[in-house]
Amino acid sequence: MDIEQKQADLIDHFVKQASALQGSALCPLIAEATSNTSLFAFSEILAIPSVLQLEGTSNSVYLDVLRLFAHGTWSDYKRNAGCLPQLVPEQVLKLKQLTVLTLAETNKVLPYDQLMQELDITNVRELEDFLINECMYAGIVRGKLDQLRRCFEVQFAAGRDLRPGQLGSMIHTLSNWLATSDNLLMSIQEKIKWADSMSELDKKHRKEVEDRVEEVKKSLSLKLQTVSRPTLTSEGMRRSTLNLVE
Amino acid sequence: MASSSSSGLTFKLHPLVIVNISDHYTRVKSQMHPPIGPHANDNSNGTDGATSLPPPVPRVYGCVIGIQRGRTVEIFNSFELLYDPSTHSLDRSFLEKKQDLYKKVFPNFYILGWYSTGSDAQESDMHIHKALMDINESPVYVLLNPSINHAQKDLPVTIYESELHVIDGIPQLIFVRSNYTIETVEAERISVDHVAHLKPSDGGSAATQLAAHLTGIHSAIKMLNSRIRVLHYYLLAMQKGDILCENSLLRQVSSLLRRLPAIESEKFQDDFLMEYNDTLLITYLAMFTNCSSTMNELVDKFNTAYDRHSRRGGRTAFM
Repeated sequence: MDIEQKQADLIDHFVKQASALQGSALCPLIAEATSNTSLFAFSEILAIPSVLQLEGTSNSVYLDVLRLFAHGTWSDYKRNAGCLPQLVPEQVLKLKQLTVLTLAETNKVLPYDQLMQELDITNVRELEDFLINECMYAGIVRGKLDQLRRCFEVQFAAGRDLRPGQLGSMIHTLSNWLATSDNLLMSIQEKIKWADSMSELDKKHRKEVEDRVEEVKKSLSLKLQTVSRPTLTSEGMRRSTLNLVE
Repeated sequence: MASSSSSGLTFKLHPLVIVNISDHYTRVKSQMHPPIGPHANDNSNGTDGATSLPPPVPRVYGCVIGIQRGRTVEIFNSFELLYDPSTHSLDRSFLEKKQDLYKKVFPNFYILGWYSTGSDAQESDMHIHKALMDINESPVYVLLNPSINHAQKDLPVTIYESELHVIDGIPQLIFVRSNYTIETVEAERISVDHVAHLKPSDGGSAATQLAAHLTGIHSAIKMLNSRIRVLHYYLLAMQKGDILCENSLLRQVSSLLRRLPAIESEKFQDDFLMEYNDTLLITYLAMFTNCSSTMNELVDKFNTAYDRHSRRGGRTAFM
């Protein structure tokens, strides 16, 4: 959430500049925005009408670059490297950071091999350096590096710009979460009621037993008084003993 | 009288102050003669000759102390003061004595203002406020509302500052509300937590403890649930187009949703099931022990009963 705060000023700044410019003047601005080290959100810039007007003109490659940075990954860039302009090293770094974010979207545990393949990094040391310095210190990702199992467990990853269809799936996930928590609340309430009713039953049972013990004690003392020789029938004896140990 | 303050000071209130004020109020209220309560009203409605109105709710007064660093005012502690209804002022000599004593123990704390109880700030409070202005040039007024309102979600504590406003051409000091946050030291957090989780005093049976524990979890999940509901509704409105799409928020929500499911790895399942089975085993074992000891007692009593019977000689025992 702090990343959003850090970015908010930058986003405002770029949006203001972009609204003031037109056409080819936007290209260096886009290059600047995509190289900026703290900016990871591009959908606000994409939404500006003068930027969208670049579509179809000779400068539409810059619009594609902006779209790539908003939604795409490093592999997308490699595939389309022919029709996209050359990226400066800062842009390459940023694109790789955004790739990590995209990978973190689908899996919580990212194996080193997959990361190395996606990011074009050949050895583990470089990969770990990249993850630690560029991703964790920048604050866009939080997680644990498991070197023995060669994977990276993501605990938190910043959000990338939303693709148009993602809103629907987010709502779906939220409604599932809501349904699960509702069910959980219901079952907890049932458990509470169950616990209360069981303790009620237990108390009643205990009270019943004690009442019967009192009764039998009274009847015993009465019998002792009325009969001269204390001979209780074996039946009565057994009944009273069993009552006493109940 | 209450608009929002524009002085730009941020107030931090410690729970100790709130507990102190409510404790002071409760003590005074319970020591009053006749005691205020439902039965007192019945008595007064009888042939006492007393008035049928319930006695007025007492107001208690006191001083709050703390630290002011720059624009942040942090109120740590409070102590009680006597209010003199004849001069409409607080007992000054006592205040100064207490101030000296507190200074020795807490050299950093200054008198930041005063407190009282009631439902709203009144005009007469301004006198007391002005009287304190020679100790602190801008004192704060902490007001606690002692009436219990179950529907109210927030704390019934308001902090007022005084501001010079021009009303009808005359510059007057009026009270304006300020926002505050609650700040806790570790010790305060532990004690507030302890009070919040009061268990039934007899230790209860296992069922009441279970019910108490489950109730705690239930309320926590209920809060989570209400917040998820708000997010859900917000996203739905955004999808329908009622609200402008705010990308920053959407990004934050997407990163949040990506953290679900929170724990799903196989290792967690293994550990969880292992612990579950261990607990079940131990419960089973405890029940076994209980059963066998009850059995033992039964057999003992049985033997005692039948031994006595057969010693008297005669009947065949052991049905």
